[in-house]
Amino acid sequence: MSYNIYEINEDLKEFIPKEIVDLQERATWGNPKRGVMDLPYSKELVEEHSLCAGCPESAALRYILASLPNPEDTIIVNSTGCTSLVFPHIALHTVHSLFGNQNAVASGIKRVLEIRFPDKVKDVVVLAGDGATVDIGLDCTLQSFFRQERITTICFDNEVYANTGGQESGLTVKGYVFKMAPKGKQFDKVPMWQLAIDSGCHYVARLTVSSPKRVEQVIKKAIYVAREVGPTYVHLYTPCILEIGLNSDDGLEEMRNRDKERFAFFEYMTPHAEEVINKVKEECLL
Amino acid sequence: MYYVARVINDECSKYNCKQCTLFCPEPNTLMYNDEKHHAYVNEERCKGCALCVYVCEHLLKRNAIKMVMPEVHAD
Ligand SMILES: Cc1ncc(C[n+]2csc(CCOP(=O)(O)OP(=O)(O)O)c2C)c(N)n1
Ligand code: SF4
Ligand SMILES: [Mg+2]
Repeated sequence: MSYNIYEINEDLKEFIPKEIVDLQERATWGNPKRGVMDLPYSKELVEEHSLCAGCPESAALRYILASLPNPEDTIIVNSTGCTSLVFPHIALHTVHSLFGNQNAVASGIKRVLEIRFPDKVKDVVVLAGDGATVDIGLDCTLQSFFRQERITTICFDNEVYANTGGQESGLTVKGYVFKMAPKGKQFDKVPMWQLAIDSGCHYVARLTVSSPKRVEQVIKKAIYVAREVGPTYVHLYTPCILEIGLNSDDGLEEMRNRDKERFAFFEYMTPHAEEVINKVKEECLL
Repeated sequence: MYYVARVINDECSKYNCKQCTLFCPEPNTLMYNDEKHHAYVNEERCKGCALCVYVCEHLLKRNAIKMVMPEVHAD
C-alpha cells in the first residue's frame, strides 16, 4: 500500500499526471524491506532528469533511493554539482544547501527534528559530490563527524568538479590532467574514508556502484547506524564518463576495473555499530 | 531522433535475469514484465547510452537487447 502523503483526491485523479498517480499506486512506501530488487517493477522515487546519458551518478541515485528504509521520513540534503540536477525530480523532502554547507544544514535539521518529533524516526542523509564534501565543504563535513551528528553522509566521488567543466578536486588522482587542470594534479588523492574513521564516524564504506545489491546493503547499514549511534560515511565512485573521455556505455566497465584497485570494497564499523547491524540483520531488514 | 534500446522479447524470455533493468542508469526506463517473462524499454525515456547492451552482450554473453532508430510519426 502506498504512503498517504501522495493520496490523490479521487475527483481530481483524471487531471493528475500519470507519474504522480504511479507514485501513489506503484511506489514502495512503508516497507523497510524495500530494495534494488523492486526496481524492475515499481515506480521509482526519481523522475526523468538531465544528467548525461550513461552517467553512473544516475545509477547510484536509483540504488540509493530504492534502498532507503524509511523514505517517507527521510530528508536528503544536497549541494551544488551534477547531483543537484536530479534533486528537483526526487519525490522526497530534499534541501539544496549552499555549496559546501550541506553537513552543517543537515546537522541542524536532524537536531530540530529530534525536538519536534521525539517519537518518530527521521533519517537525515547528505548526498553531495567530492568537491562539495572534501574540498569546499570539508570543514562542515568533519565538524559534523567530530560533533557526532546522527546523519549519514554519502559522497559521490567522480574525482573532479564535473558540473563546472573539469577542475581538479582533492579527490582527483595525483597526476591526472583535466580540461581546467592542465598541469596535472600535484598531490595525492585525499583518503576521505580514513579521515571519516579518524574523525569519529561509526560506519564507513568505500565502493563503486558496480553492484546494486552491495550499494543497497551499505546504504541500509549506514542509515541504521546513524539512527542509533552517530555519524556514518559512504564513499561511492561514480566516474564522470564525460570528463575522463569515456563513451556512454563505458561507466560500468570503468567501475568494475576500479573495484580491483583504488576503489576495492572497504568497510569499517565500531563495535557499537556492529551491534546495531547484527540486530537489524536478525530482524531480516538487511 | 537518436538510437534507443529495444528488447528482443523471444530471446530475453529464455532467461529470467533482469540484470539490464538494474544497470540502466535511468529511472523506470528498462522494466520487467513478469507475465511475459521479458524486459521492456520505455523508449521515450531512453537516453540511448547502450549500457544495457554492454550488460546483456558483454557481461552475460546474451543477445537480447539492441539499439534501434525508433520510428518517427510526423503528425
Ligand atoms: C559557494 C559556491 N561556490 C562555487 C560554486 C560553483 N560550483 C557549482 S558546481 C561546482 C562543482 C561541484 O563539484 P562536485 O561537488 O565534485 O560535484 P560534481 O559536479 O562533480 O558531481 C562548483 C564549484 C557554487 N555553486 N557555489
Ligand atoms: S558531467 Fe559527468 S558527472 Fe555530470 S552528468 Fe555528465 S557524466 Fe555525470
Ligand atoms: Mg565531483
